[in-house]
Amino acid sequence: MKVIFQLILKRIGLSLITLFIVSAVVFFIANLLPGDAAQEMLGQSATPEAVAALRDAYGLNDPPLTRYAKWLGGLVTGDAGTSLANSRPVSELISSRLSQSLLLAGLTAVIAVPFAMVLGIVAAMHSGRRIDKIMNIATLTMVAVPEFLLATIFVLVFAVELNWLPSLSYIPSDAGLYDYFRAFALPVATLCIVLSAQMARMTRAAVLEQLSQPYVEMALLKGSPLSRAVLRHALPNAVGPIVNAVALSLSYLLGGVVIVEVIFNYPGVASLMVDAVTNRDMPLLQACAMLFCTGYLILVLIADLAAILANPKLRTGG
Amino acid sequence: MMSVFKSMPVSGKLGSALVAFWLFIALFGPWLAPHTASEIVAYDVFEPIGGEYVLGTDYIGRDVFSRILDGTRFTIFIPLLAAALACSAGTLIALYSAVSHPRTDEIIARFMDALISIPSKIFSLVMIAAFGSSVPILLTITAISYMPGSFRIARALAVNVASMDFVTVARTRGESRLYLAVKEILPNILHPMLADFGLRFVFVVLLLSSLSFLGLGVQPPEADLGSLVRENISGLAEGAPAVIVPAIAIATITIAVNLVIDSLRGGATYAAKGK
Amino acid sequence: MHNNKIDAALRGHHSGSRRALLKSLGAAGLVTAASGLALPAHVLAQLSDESTTANQAGGKPKHGGRIRVATTSMSTKDTLDPAKASLSTDYVRIYMFYSGLTQFNRELGADPALAETIETEDQQNWHFTLRSGVTFHNGKSLTPQDVVYSLLRHKDPAVTSRAAPIAAQFQEVVVTGPNTLRITLNAPNADLPVMLASANFCIVADGTTDFTQTANGTGPYQQKEFSAGVRTIGVRNPNFWKPGKPYLDEVELVGIADESSRVNALLSGDIQMALAVNPRSTKRVKRSGTCDVLQTESSLYTNLIMRQDGYPTSNPDFVLAVKYMMNRELIKRALFRGYATIANDHPVAPSHKYFNHELPQRPYDIDRAKFHLKKAGMSGIRVPVFASPAAEGSVDMAALLQLSGIEAGMHFGINRVPSDGYWSNHWMKHPLGFGNINPRVSLDELFSLFYKSDAPWNESGWQNAQFDELLIAARGEGDEIKRKQMYWDMQELIADKCGVSIPVFMNLIDGYDKRVKGFYPIPTGGLMGYSFAEHVWLDA
Repeated sequence: MKVIFQLILKRIGLSLITLFIVSAVVFFIANLLPGDAAQEMLGQSATPEAVAALRDAYGLNDPPLTRYAKWLGGLVTGDAGTSLANSRPVSELISSRLSQSLLLAGLTAVIAVPFAMVLGIVAAMHSGRRIDKIMNIATLTMVAVPEFLLATIFVLVFAVELNWLPSLSYIPSDAGLYDYFRAFALPVATLCIVLSAQMARMTRAAVLEQLSQPYVEMALLKGSPLSRAVLRHALPNAVGPIVNAVALSLSYLLGGVVIVEVIFNYPGVASLMVDAVTNRDMPLLQACAMLFCTGYLILVLIADLAAILANPKLRTGG
Repeated sequence: MMSVFKSMPVSGKLGSALVAFWLFIALFGPWLAPHTASEIVAYDVFEPIGGEYVLGTDYIGRDVFSRILDGTRFTIFIPLLAAALACSAGTLIALYSAVSHPRTDEIIARFMDALISIPSKIFSLVMIAAFGSSVPILLTITAISYMPGSFRIARALAVNVASMDFVTVARTRGESRLYLAVKEILPNILHPMLADFGLRFVFVVLLLSSLSFLGLGVQPPEADLGSLVRENISGLAEGAPAVIVPAIAIATITIAVNLVIDSLRGGATYAAKGK
Repeated sequence: MHNNKIDAALRGHHSGSRRALLKSLGAAGLVTAASGLALPAHVLAQLSDESTTANQAGGKPKHGGRIRVATTSMSTKDTLDPAKASLSTDYVRIYMFYSGLTQFNRELGADPALAETIETEDQQNWHFTLRSGVTFHNGKSLTPQDVVYSLLRHKDPAVTSRAAPIAAQFQEVVVTGPNTLRITLNAPNADLPVMLASANFCIVADGTTDFTQTANGTGPYQQKEFSAGVRTIGVRNPNFWKPGKPYLDEVELVGIADESSRVNALLSGDIQMALAVNPRSTKRVKRSGTCDVLQTESSLYTNLIMRQDGYPTSNPDFVLAVKYMMNRELIKRALFRGYATIANDHPVAPSHKYFNHELPQRPYDIDRAKFHLKKAGMSGIRVPVFASPAAEGSVDMAALLQLSGIEAGMHFGINRVPSDGYWSNHWMKHPLGFGNINPRVSLDELFSLFYKSDAPWNESGWQNAQFDELLIAARGEGDEIKRKQMYWDMQELIADKCGVSIPVFMNLIDGYDKRVKGFYPIPTGGLMGYSFAEHVWLDA
């Protein structure tokens, strides 16, 4: 147990290092963007003098390293800076959106992950048979439809034609449970389809891979039923790749849902970051990027730990 | 090659035929098109199938058939190249990482995590804002976006394999790291990585269409199939072929690629299991 | 559709739109009775009697109800500061919460709003008397000092006002009495009342510097919720200075960037009004039975810019060749489904009172294009052209131009660049690119901003001394016939010599739920020049 505890600590330490690398990468990439907030703010009325004055006010005239140090120093002390676009604290802007994003991501994950697992395992257990083939084509089709098309079809069918659900994911201030259900039904359905197909396929592949291993064949030869072989032998060993696939898919729910946010007008963090890019609002952009990266790293950390815990050989320190 | 085809299950044969069909379109489509892709041929927009124009007209009256013939090459070749680049680079680095000193492994893994943790759409958005949108840029961005993902999958598999007895045996036998990576580990992760390639191909196709949704994808007057779906989306309500046909085309391409990969894999894996 | 133009709010002279209005309102006549306000006739062109127009637009106004309205964009840059307003969503929000000294009417004049009377002898010194009994949302009474503060803050660079170039004309703004003030301009400008009707010049309370959370205006709605990039909600201001108005209890404003999502939201009943419906979607909206579209003829245009300081666009024959390659009919038909008016390579729309209708329409003529290309020695040339969704329709225009180019024996290579950053990084920076100019209140303003040799946004870098002289002379010309002739000459100069090609003027199309009444076009922009919130009611 102590070994595992140390491992966890080590992983967290490593994640912090990764986060540091991320901050450098993010800062570097953000600074590749042509133009800056001063120009964006003034738009067509940008005269050189006005831009220069505003740049000075925003501290954009400092050398990049100074700005990086300032920013990183702020982050460490919990101050993500002030948005250049609307002069509100970045943390305030993000926190209001983050809860929305997490809500959407959580709902999607709760539905999509078990669904995908079951789908993948069932397909693997029946590999080569009709049910597997049908699922194969179904998941491939689900993956293959652009999500904006899927979302638009849902809106046309369920909102415009049938009028069952709203086309915008909008939660009124006095919302009850039913309002939440209505508001989230379409975006969550869209995301579930996009994500679970992908997770199901990876699950199936990983389980199948284990099923073809000699030790499982041995178990099968000894007469243990397939379901037992899958659940007792194959699955624990397939956990590594599966949780990895799940982690990757779920990280998508933070930054990758731009299109769903745009179509359903859902105020999440992804569209906040798109705004930041458009407005060249570097403090906001960098903070969002760090947020996504942190979210991802946490998921990956969990995935790694799960893999370690599931694989006895890795557990004893491999 | 022929024997591989013959040994395939029906789905694999179907997939191969479809892949061959789309490759043909991708290679020769522009020459087969009755009109140029950007020519406005009709006043009526979103015409249905079977009129004067085989697949109707698009949102400004261009010939959908010609535009699909012209656009398929982007949807085939960019993802194919990008996925191949991403998967091979990811797998190679993962192999290297798996057989290297744990510290090297750790450094590579950290760096990959840093890269992968940036969402691909956001990464593309920033890169395209910085460098503009062109086919080489799109290829680079998509390859970079999906490489760390491939790496993670490959590494998870490779580490698993590397901890197995036969690898430990080979290691104690004193085999070189190159031998371990190529002869012992690679064959055992190849099949899942092929599946990964299939998925990644699909991802790139979808990322491209997502980018076109945001106006950042293949730039007009050229259009990949995703862009065709996007630019004609307002025709969806009236069931215009201009939006449905390219969507079906994307679906058949991605499904076909995966069917082929699946059946190749099935030939190896399931055959051994006698299923 | 309306990008980050500084001056997009300062739009709108388009006086002949009366005909258009009659058309779009059907048989309803527009009676513009003079109101009882003490206004010098030369200041305010027309005043519309509110109750008359309201009745004609759909029965007797009713109070109550709430609607949700979608414009084309929203982001963290959304603002409650009138000075910073730069996009349609901002204009709507500002007009919900604030009022100006004047406001645009449907005839493209300006009606007095917070100003009760406006007087001037020389068009340089303007005397304003404020309406009495007006209060801000927080209960404070409106004073001349509020107006002085509101107007002069545009001159402070730290405010980063979008209207700073216009405000530069204010030489002096001073309180002259308990209820009066005077604006002195650098030079005479008869268009001051219309300029002051723009969203940017709406009146804020004296000393307000923080606009991040609250809007304290005198407008028809009070702020209930404002969340940048998410939504704005206004509730009826019971103390609004127009008795009986506004009609709705609550207006919620959102931005839906994706046009097809916007139309779907309208058709599914999630929103009741939508700005900027694509011409291609009009059929769907009309077919729904519950919704309809309202067309507003405007002088909004997307133009091809040919820089006079770049190669090969500095060659006058090349410029002419390109102008002949513009297939205006096809652009109007294919790109805008007919919701556009053919333009003649100058920025004055046919409905304008100074429109030069004797200037022959430039045809689509490949032979002449070939002739001029040859004369320039540029047959077979390859030229890159920059287009972006930021300049509406430009990408498709470029594609059409490319086709004409092939016929005329040259090749346009299309560089489509993202909307993001277009105005700062690409606009006016390439020899060949597109611009997008919003309707302007006065020709003088339009020409001064975009065509004069030293204009701040002289898109093509055009230098023409004769044009500049005419422009200055027209400002001080009292004789209407002479003035008109001058504007005619200027149009001809632009059409023949300037490095811009303007193929069509685009009409604005809004979608709305038929239960929304009192909705009519005000040609300064979509959604009644962005000021619908004050006028419409719900007939539920």
